Amino acid sequence: MVNQTRPPGASRRAVLTGAGTALAGAIALGGCGRAATARKAVKRLPKALMESDVRILSAALALERRAVAAYVAGIPLLPHPQAKAARQFLNEELEHTGELISLITAAGAKPPPRADSYPLGHPSDGAGVLALLHSLETLQVSNYLQSIPHLSPGPVRAAVASILTVDAQHLTMVRFIQGQTPVPSAFVSGAE
Amino acid sequence: MPAQTRRELLRGGAAGAGGAAAGVLLAAASAQAAPAPAAVSVTDRLQRLIRIELLLAFSYRHVLASSVLTPRARRTLTPFVAHEQAHIAALERELTARGATLPAAPASVAAANHDLGHRKVGGRLGQLRGDLDAVRLLLTLEQVTIGAYFVALLKLEETGLIELASQIMANEAQHDAMLGLLMPPNKPADAVPYGLVQGLQ
Repeated sequence: MVNQTRPPGASRRAVLTGAGTALAGAIALGGCGRAATARKAVKRLPKALMESDVRILSAALALERRAVAAYVAGIPLLPHPQAKAARQFLNEELEHTGELISLITAAGAKPPPRADSYPLGHPSDGAGVLALLHSLETLQVSNYLQSIPHLSPGPVRAAVASILTVDAQHLTMVRFIQGQTPVPSAFVSGAE
Repeated sequence: MPAQTRRELLRGGAAGAGGAAAGVLLAAASAQAAPAPAAVSVTDRLQRLIRIELLLAFSYRHVLASSVLTPRARRTLTPFVAHEQAHIAALERELTARGATLPAAPASVAAANHDLGHRKVGGRLGQLRGDLDAVRLLLTLEQVTIGAYFVALLKLEETGLIELASQIMANEAQHDAMLGLLMPPNKPADAVPYGLVQGLQ
């Protein structure tokens, strides 16, 4: 793990950019040899465990793709400030699909294809879109919480948890925009 | 290193190392490849998590007891104290069940500040000059806490503990987002600026 230091009073963006720098440093320092080591770490799993992980990751990928489809379809129905937030969250959902595909590929499997369409209901206004996004983010959070303990290697569990955290943040922001209590519980359960 | 956004850096990582997830694996593999430090037991990990949660709860209480917060910030942050207390109670139950000693909360502001310094968190309790100073300190401490759970999840093996750590990590990330919303420009899009949250380690 990378340690980093921050000057007192550093801005949030500066702090987080620092985190990015540190992560990039880890990647850069890793180089090809360590990338191969990481892939081997996944490939060293017994076949049954690897297949189980790929099933879990593929199911999560399907939910992320459904959320992407909902954001793409719903953004035009949202008023400007909400649409701006939704576009940001869409980019992050796309990043999640990329992460999951990387993990599936590292396990030596082929990511499942996208569905031709996803069941999204028929929201006709901003409130309907927010309700849809709320339900899909909740579903994702719930799925990650159930599946993370069943993933085999710790690094994969932690990587997937770093996606869970962002979907939990999306859920909080959607609740905030809807005028609901943004963080209703001390333990994220996926039932919010 | 030239100034780059985290997104750019992650994109660079994706191009060069097969994705940020691969980067996570890399960092973990790198840690695994390093000379093995003394093994950290489950109880040690729980104690570490409880210590940082105690510091977080102490910091929230201190900030809320001061006069630096705006009413809006106060309304936002007040429920978080109970959340941190619930996290501590859940972790302490796990620790007690394993017969280990419960860590103590910081005994004073000076002790808490020493711990903040040790964790490289900018700002000191008792010296906060306003709302944003306080929010920034809590935001950074939340990110350090998220980082502690991320590291714990790399190593925890018990299903119940993995589930608990994931639930708490996600809750701290929600706190992080709400603290972000208290920072200018106070917009939801800026409160969740990154696609992956691993905290600060």
